[in-house]
Formats: sequence, C-alpha cells, structure tokens
Amino acid sequence: MQMHVRFSTRTASVIALMAAMSFTALHADAPATPAEIQKARHDHYHALGEASKKVRDLIRSSKPDFAVLEQAAEHIVDASIDQGRWFPAGSGPEAGKTRALPAVWTKPGEFAAAQKMFSDRAPTLLAAVRAKDVDAVRRAFREVGASCKNCHDTFRAPED
Amino acid sequence: MTENPASSVARVRIWDVPTRLVHWLIVASVATSWWTAERGDLELHRYSGYLLLGLLLFRIYWGFAGSSSARFAHFVKGPRAIARYLRSGSTPSVGHNPLGALSVVALLLLLLIQVTLGLFAVDVDGLESGPLSHYVSFEVGRACAKWHETVFDVLVWIIVLHIAAVLFYVIFRKQNLIGAMLHGHREYAEQPGSSIRFASVTRTIVGIVLAVALTWMIARGLELP
Repeated sequence: MQMHVRFSTRTASVIALMAAMSFTALHADAPATPAEIQKARHDHYHALGEASKKVRDLIRSSKPDFAVLEQAAEHIVDASIDQGRWFPAGSGPEAGKTRALPAVWTKPGEFAAAQKMFSDRAPTLLAAVRAKDVDAVRRAFREVGASCKNCHDTFRAPED
Repeated sequence: MTENPASSVARVRIWDVPTRLVHWLIVASVATSWWTAERGDLELHRYSGYLLLGLLLFRIYWGFAGSSSARFAHFVKGPRAIARYLRSGSTPSVGHNPLGALSVVALLLLLLIQVTLGLFAVDVDGLESGPLSHYVSFEVGRACAKWHETVFDVLVWIIVLHIAAVLFYVIFRKQNLIGAMLHGHREYAEQPGSSIRFASVTRTIVGIVLAVALTWMIARGLELP
C-alpha cells in the first residue's frame, strides 16, 4: 500500500513534468493570443496603408523616385501574399475589438477569392514600377485599390 | 396698426447678391459634403470640399472688400457692444446684430478649420486623401482625418445653434431674418439711421477670380505648373 502510494506520487511527478514540458513546447508553437493576433493584423494593415499612401504620393509626379516606389510596391506584394495568414480562426469580433466581420470566417471561400484578387493584381503594380512606366503604375494602382475596396465592402465593418 | 403700412414700414436692402448667394451655397456644399462622406463617395466629397473652400475664400475677401453689411469691421463687435445690444431688448439691426456676428465668425472659423483638415486628411487604407496630404506623413494624415470627423460634430452643434437663434428671432422677435437672407430686404418700423454701402460688380469679379484661382492651386496640390 505504502509502495503503491509512493510509486503513484513519482508517476504523477513525471507526468506533471512531461505535461509542463509539452505545455511549454505547445505554448512556444502557438503564435500568439487572439488579442496579439488582432494587434499584429492591425499593424500589418497600417503599414500597408502607409505603403499605399507612398505610392499615391509618388505617382502624382510623372518622374517619381522609382527606387522608393519599388520598395513600396514590394511591401504591397508581400502583404498581398502574407494576408492569407492574418485571419486565423478565433481572431474575429469574439476575441476583441476589430473591424473584421464574421463573414471572414463564415464565408471562407468568398474571403479567399477577395484576397486572391489582391494577390493577383499586386504583382502587376510591381512589374509596372520595375518597367518604369508611370502610366502603367497609375493604372495598376487603381486596380489594386479596387481590389482593396472590393474586400473591405464585404468583410470589413464601416468606421464608427 | 391703423396707419397706412406704406408710410410706417421702411423696406431697406441690407444684403447684396454675393453675400446671400455665398450663404446658401455654403449650406448646399456642407450638406453635399456630409452626404458624400456618409456614402463613402470621396471623389464627390473632394469636389464639394473645393466648392466650400472657394466660397470661404470669397467670403473672407468679401469681409474686407465687400458691401459694408458683409464686412467684419462693420459687424464684429466686442463683449460690451453685445451686452448693450442684449440690454436694449435686441432692437433690429441693419446687417448682422452683435450676437449674430458671433455666429458668423464661429461658423466661418470652424468651416475653415474643417476644410483645412480635409486638405491634409488620409483615409485608413492610404487610398483616398486630400489634395495637400502628400506634404504630411501617413500618421499626420490619419490624425487630420480623425480631427476632420470631430470638428464636423462640433460644426453640427454650432449649425443647430445658428438655426435655433434665427428661428428665435423669426418667431419671438418677429424679425424675418430668413426672408432677408433670401431676397436681401428687411422691413423696419422706421427708416434706419445708418445705411448700407454696396460694393461694385468689379469687386465681386475680382473676388471670384481670386477665390477660384487660389482654390484651383490648392486642389492641384500647390504645385507650380
């Protein structure tokens, strides 16, 4: 009886230790809390807005600084690819204040299509920048902007 | 009451055409700006903003170079004059009364702040912006956009106050201020001592040319051609 209890205690300790280790491992794997995910997403889109403004400001001129323009266009292309990972399950309105609508998660097919419109059009912008064709950049930027608006109209709540 | 109205009532012209037209066009452009912002039509919103900017620039010019009833020096009064006016039981004025002057100054100032903020404002996506936003960072542009919303709320309250004050005069003081702003004339129990000196058409044209030119330059982003 005594032995049995002592054995159980040791077993329990081992199990507890293993559980603690695996919890730590799991926790290290888990990207962030829903609030952190929302904050990161907000920051990503803020940076994207900043890049959009940069392009918009630069293409006012017929002789823009193409080096700066290219950086901004690359940022936009990267964001168009990365955004697929910015909306994990559980990071919607239920997790805190966000303008992301539940439709992002209830209509995943349509949301993916809206994101694809952006990632399809963004490379055209970068290509036009690399070709140093201002008119083509202006056209491509309008198209990219329309893809932003297309998604926002359905999947983002209006500003309050 | 039994007297012949023609002999007891003096019909005096107090507001010139530019002052009245600018007043009602400001009303129309503020309404259009509000509606287009609500609908998210930023393209039209910019145009109604440019119209408002042009009207404000003209009104400021007219406040220095226009007919005497439109000039700031003529109607902007200090607190003592306002107090005296209130004690007198708000007798009808030729032009703005000292209290109405406050309303004019507050509205013009707020509208000017509002339009200026709009010139530098940037939307959250960096896709829509005012014509001078390329002079400021994304952060400053966003701050301007947020203030643009806050100032609008303040503006609405001042407009409500302005309308309430005008209605007070119409209903309780029997002074038809709205009719005067429409047709330019007011009726007084007796011929008022002071009279309005009206500005020439040439001055009007100069003001329009100046306002349009300056608005055009600002809308183009203040860049030399």
